Amino acid sequence: MRYLIRFITRNAAGDAEHNDKIISAPAITIGRATDQMLHLRDRRARLQHACIEPQNGDIHITTSAMAGVTVNGRSQRNARLAPGDVIEVGANILRVIEAPDGVDFALSFELSDQDAAEHLEQSWTTPTSGVAGWSKRRISWSLAILVLIFAFALPALSLLHPGIASLMRGSGALPDDSWWLAGPVHSAHSSTAATCEGCHSKAFQRVPDDACMACHTVDKHVASAATAVLGEARCASCHLEHNEPPELVKQHQGLCADCHRDLPADVSLRPAADFLDEHPDFRVSLLRPNASSTGEIEWNVEHLALAEAATADRSNLKFDHKVHLDEDGIITPDGKRVIECAECHVPEPGGARMQAISMDEHCSGCHALSFDPDDPTRVVPHGDPEGVLQALIEYYSARLLGADPDAVEQRVRRPGAALTRADRDKAATEARAKALEVAADLFERRACANCHEVSKRDDDSELPWSVLVVRLTDRFFPHASFTHAAHDTEVTDCSSCHAAAESESAHDLLMPDIDTCRDCHGSAFARRNDASQTPSTCIMCHSFHFEAKGNYQ
Amino acid sequence: MHESILAFQKRRYLWVSLIAAGLAILAYWFDDPQEPANGGTALGYTLGTIGALIIVWLTWFGIRKRRYASNVGTVQGWLSAHVYLGIALIVIVLLHTGFQFGWNVHTLAFALMTLVILSGLYGVYVYMQYPERISQNRGGAPRSEFIDQLEDIDFRSARVAEGLGADFLEFVTSGIQRTQLGATLWERLNGHDGSQILVRQGGQTQIVANVGQETALDWLAEQQSVSGDAETAAGIGELSALLRNKRRLLRRLSEDLKLQATLEIWLYAHVPLTAALLVALLVHILTVFMYW
Repeated sequence: MRYLIRFITRNAAGDAEHNDKIISAPAITIGRATDQMLHLRDRRARLQHACIEPQNGDIHITTSAMAGVTVNGRSQRNARLAPGDVIEVGANILRVIEAPDGVDFALSFELSDQDAAEHLEQSWTTPTSGVAGWSKRRISWSLAILVLIFAFALPALSLLHPGIASLMRGSGALPDDSWWLAGPVHSAHSSTAATCEGCHSKAFQRVPDDACMACHTVDKHVASAATAVLGEARCASCHLEHNEPPELVKQHQGLCADCHRDLPADVSLRPAADFLDEHPDFRVSLLRPNASSTGEIEWNVEHLALAEAATADRSNLKFDHKVHLDEDGIITPDGKRVIECAECHVPEPGGARMQAISMDEHCSGCHALSFDPDDPTRVVPHGDPEGVLQALIEYYSARLLGADPDAVEQRVRRPGAALTRADRDKAATEARAKALEVAADLFERRACANCHEVSKRDDDSELPWSVLVVRLTDRFFPHASFTHAAHDTEVTDCSSCHAAAESESAHDLLMPDIDTCRDCHGSAFARRNDASQTPSTCIMCHSFHFEAKGNYQ
Repeated sequence: MHESILAFQKRRYLWVSLIAAGLAILAYWFDDPQEPANGGTALGYTLGTIGALIIVWLTWFGIRKRRYASNVGTVQGWLSAHVYLGIALIVIVLLHTGFQFGWNVHTLAFALMTLVILSGLYGVYVYMQYPERISQNRGGAPRSEFIDQLEDIDFRSARVAEGLGADFLEFVTSGIQRTQLGATLWERLNGHDGSQILVRQGGQTQIVANVGQETALDWLAEQQSVSGDAETAAGIGELSALLRNKRRLLRRLSEDLKLQATLEIWLYAHVPLTAALLVALLVHILTVFMYW
């Protein structure tokens, strides 16, 4: 296609002069960009504004601009052009004129010299006319509104109706009110507090205790929470959510020490504050046997200072830790070997306490209750003195009278002869005498007396011995929550705290004193003063709601 | 003598900010909330309040700098304080967060604040560097002189081209018309020369790039080699000299546009991000206390 563009300029007198340009191209592109055939210097024109090209034998002007292009006063996206039509792009006016010979299509276009200079000037004076024509103000408003919508308005929709809330939360993509979370919900609460309003029942009000009490019950200290002692304290004063690392119990020492540092005179508790130098020495709760007025043994818990309790453990057992823990090993059925503490002292699941020690599981491997060197596998029952005597009598009777010919001792009968009644009586008497002899040995010197306190009545009964009841103290420090699991480290072994290797008596109380704890546990402010010490607040060992520890219903 | 905003009044606001940030760090170090540090401890609330007030005050600079009648300090002093306190703000607010971050509106506010401050730091850098580079590039001449020179060259080359015939005139005129620098923001920031020129090849009219007037100069050299008479050759030589001048001028111009655009573009991040930050800050405070 051959196009003619007639550029019209005005001379100084205002007379029109024209300058024809013939363009051979498939189409004439019109726009503000310099790669356009007809280059317009008008900011209202788009870079590629319109295109004049043949369509179905006619010449059309087309545009992709939303506003279209104005042809004869009408804005159109696609218009057929004929001579006489007037095209307006911004302030520029293009007129379709009769095409002279040899040209397919002609346009006239009046150039304004002013434009060129203005264009340059504009380039100068508006070096950053915004990003894609956006002013700072417009971008600012847009960003601000965007934040308002996504950070506030859309999440706030969840508050209007539970249906909307579940829709927003379930969508996975829409911004729901979880965007407002200040931190993760503790895993202990993840099931109950799936919704914010589960705990935050009223906007702009702190979480009320009712919200906690809906699931939890507590007794101790809470009754006094309403009193002047704890003032306006709420559950959430100490129990904090949405923190990282998640820590539901506030560790602040002042929460305890503010009251416990100076206790009223009528309180039996000893004052306590910082663990390093304001904590009283440990007192131990020992289970001790006492003879009651009726002469029976009663077991009572006695609270003793650790120093006075040093050899006061009374379990009615005899046990020598030193022998058992001999570094050279001791003789066992498997030969001579060193015994580890953990072979007998096994933590309960969770590591808080130790499992009970039992004869069957922990002692009998070495301390078999055998009595006859000729028959070392034969044992008497444990924990049943009468059964012991019975077992001995039966054993020796069988040996003297039993049907097994080889087992019967020769001196009781002649070979081949049947036993006479007198023989039987004699044998029974002998067996009983032998059993009593062995029983005395067992109760007073060997098996039983090895481990147990055995008392002997001064009377004529066949069984004058009684093994004293064994009771082990379950928790020596019941008001401290200690877990072995947390102390199972490379720097601590059993002997760090328990001086078992030196103990020769079961009366020794092998509990550590406060100084032992202070080897590692320091003040609540330890890190700051001494990096080698673990900062230890009251809550580390003591519970606040100690009698009913926030029972979960 | 010119005093940099950074050195304003013997760096008075640097010391103010250092002390503010130092006090915040000391308080954070010695504070023992005995719970994970967070915005809800006593120190957390304190730092948060201070941070929010500083943000509002820093934003107020946008208003203060337009109040020419105001005599509450000088704008220079305000800007100096704006810069230094803005940097201290990062420290104060970081400690307010207790280093707890997440995908939530609270961290959004912090992220927006950080972006505002980073864009501001870039702004300080260009304000320190670019005015000097701009005036060096312009060689001390005002901008209008460049326009005048350019117009003069265009006028003279059109006149020379007219004398060489219609082909030359059309060619040179199209080159003048399509000389373009910095049509878009991107081109300005890159110093891109978007000039083009209309050439005829085999009866087809084509628009080709004319970066640094190279196409025009090449075409003139070609015409020079085929021109018969001395007068034409002299005219072409004169035209070439003019276009080489124009090329030098355009290089400086595009560098000027680039420097000028860089000097101003950061504000297109700094200001809108500040607006977004203010909204995010409000949402942060509102939601925190809504779910107290």
